[in-house]
Amino acid sequence: MLESRDISFSYDGKTEILRSVNIQIRQGEVVLLTGPTGSGKSTLAKCLSGFIPRSIDGNFSGEIKIDGENTGDYSIAEISRLVSLVQQDPDSQICTLKVVDEVAFGPENYEFSYEIIEKLTKSSLLAVDALHLHNRNTHTLSGGEKQKLAIASMLSCEPKYLILDEPSASLDPKGVLLLRRILTELKDKNVGVLCIEHNLDTIRPIANRILSISNGAITDWTPTAEQSISSITQTLIPDTPLLTLEGVNFSYGSIQVIHDTSLTIHQGEIIALMGENGSGKTTLVSLLGGLLDPDNGRVDFGRVAISDIDRKEIVKRISVVFQNPNHQIFERTVWKEQILSSEILGEVHEKSVERSTHLLNSANLGNFLDRNPFSLSHGQKRMLNITSSIAHFPKILLLDEPFIGQDQEGREFISNIITETASANGAVLVVTHNPNFAKNYCNRVIFVENGSILLDGSPEIVLHRLEDIGHTEYSEMEAPS
Amino acid sequence: MTNQTTIMQNGGRVNPLLKLFMLILTISGILIYPSWRLSSILLVIVILLFPISGASLNLSRNRTKFIIIFSLLLFIFQILVTVNGTVLGFIIPQLNNFGPFLPITDFGIERGLAIASRFLLVVLSSMLFVAITDPTLLAHSLTRLKIPYRYSFALVIALRFLPLFDSENQIVRMAQKSRGIQPEVGGLRKILRTIQYTFFPLLVSSLSRVEALSISMDGRGFGYSENRTYFRKSNWKISDTLIAFGGLGFILLCSMLALGYLPLLSTII
Repeated sequence: MLESRDISFSYDGKTEILRSVNIQIRQGEVVLLTGPTGSGKSTLAKCLSGFIPRSIDGNFSGEIKIDGENTGDYSIAEISRLVSLVQQDPDSQICTLKVVDEVAFGPENYEFSYEIIEKLTKSSLLAVDALHLHNRNTHTLSGGEKQKLAIASMLSCEPKYLILDEPSASLDPKGVLLLRRILTELKDKNVGVLCIEHNLDTIRPIANRILSISNGAITDWTPTAEQSISSITQTLIPDTPLLTLEGVNFSYGSIQVIHDTSLTIHQGEIIALMGENGSGKTTLVSLLGGLLDPDNGRVDFGRVAISDIDRKEIVKRISVVFQNPNHQIFERTVWKEQILSSEILGEVHEKSVERSTHLLNSANLGNFLDRNPFSLSHGQKRMLNITSSIAHFPKILLLDEPFIGQDQEGREFISNIITETASANGAVLVVTHNPNFAKNYCNRVIFVENGSILLDGSPEIVLHRLEDIGHTEYSEMEAPS
Repeated sequence: MTNQTTIMQNGGRVNPLLKLFMLILTISGILIYPSWRLSSILLVIVILLFPISGASLNLSRNRTKFIIIFSLLLFIFQILVTVNGTVLGFIIPQLNNFGPFLPITDFGIERGLAIASRFLLVVLSSMLFVAITDPTLLAHSLTRLKIPYRYSFALVIALRFLPLFDSENQIVRMAQKSRGIQPEVGGLRKILRTIQYTFFPLLVSSLSRVEALSISMDGRGFGYSENRTYFRKSNWKISDTLIAFGGLGFILLCSMLALGYLPLLSTII
């Protein structure tokens, strides 16, 4: 059993992130841990895997026991033979150039023999359904493939306990189903698994226990009803085109990622842009936002080609929020970041300042105005990305997977912004893998496959049709009603 | 999916360390004995090695085009600036009382050929080395030279993160564009702001990766022992030793030619 006894931790000696936390994970069980952003989930993961206090500074007290033995005197290498941690961002964890090297990395460090390394590498890649990738260069993998690789490279170390920090964040529904299968197989192999997730639906069907962490303490999780805001646009028949793609092709170098795509976004629409990892969703968003120029075809805002419109005019009307929050924070304080767009557009006035203050308060960022935005939690940074992009009332919002790393409160805040923008005669396009969001909030779903639009229509019809053509993973991901 | 998939362990017939050694020897050789004939012979060999080793020397690619055009410019520039030697003709011939200007001399052509072929040789042999060497195997081979694996791994990590920084840089530029941030150069303050808007996000993203990377590596036993085993490694074969001796012989030959011990041969190459 992997257990923590009364562990407390503070990074700065003042704010306690964990307060006398007790948790037990037995071999052969999957424990699901959830909690709001900044509640200490990742910190607990680092404590259990030994990085706190060994390589991360702070005030630590309490003890971690593995199979009854206190690990206080263990080195990181000794603990990591028993407990492995798969962190949030798979890209940062990959340290070699080839898939096979990455999986063999752990066993090589532990000086395993050639035969054993070969066996472990094969079995670990096979466990995540990725043996066919063994000879690929790591930087050419898709987000989902990188996540599989990160898990395989930990499995090859044969840990008794595995901790996964938001493993489903970059996975499409197919990947999530595979993740469930991987975790079930680990259970069968008597591995103890702690899975940290915001989106409970992903792992819940196979979890033995669900725990919740809040204010630094752990309790048993109790279900709370997620409020569904009934979309006022459901019955609206959209007819005013705002943004149009016509016969657009786009390539990165010699690889064509968007093939002859046409679509029109109308006033009042909330569109879920769905599709597997690597199907071209992010590229479509960038094309719609006028951030990439198509190889051929047209992108029109209203009736004017977007390439003929001044950049600032586009910024006024279209806001794009990307996946990684770190890439889109430019200023040194939360407040400066919030009003950056208004400053650039020359629209800093009483009304915009009032709006910015209101947005930050509703995103629970009102107390952090002078904080460096980079010191916020991942979920808070995402909120700031959104609040800072909408202060000037853009008509069109293009959001790339905005719900990743968001707790329930965050999800509700973002959903509110989406419905507000659409009901103010605007339109919102959201890249998402979540069929429940599509059903509850959207009036249109576009499903992309291999850079082309495969399905386009109302959520019920598209999700139903997806099931008909063999994409059953989306209906399997839907929450039971 | 099949269990029978075999995992390829070794790449290439020649040891990567030997490839590096031969690259250094080739470049040293033509620096010791800078003859245009010798560099041209080596250049032909290097160009022939591209198809033999399965690497592509794509002439239509911008980079290759640039290299060839640059070497031609070097050649022409040397002809223009070298005036001594036997005059073979003039670029601007005599027209009545006008000219002649810009003489072409045999020495100028020789110098031009020497510099251009040397430039092409250095660039193309390095390109060949990069194209046919698996950096991971090279890093692993460096440990044979008693270089601790912690240092040889730095090479692998640097190469791992280069494409990542490149793609992040593009995303940051798109994010700037979406917020209406345009590069400004008017005045120091604006330049500093432009730098801040580009480097802040990149720096923060890099720093956050450092912690995740070190946790990921330490968590898989990096540094667990002074030694580690390697799943993919290249062996040093007898043929490698023979090629290495051949390379040393080449350097000896270049040195003797440069010192004038082989006057007869030096008239040929």
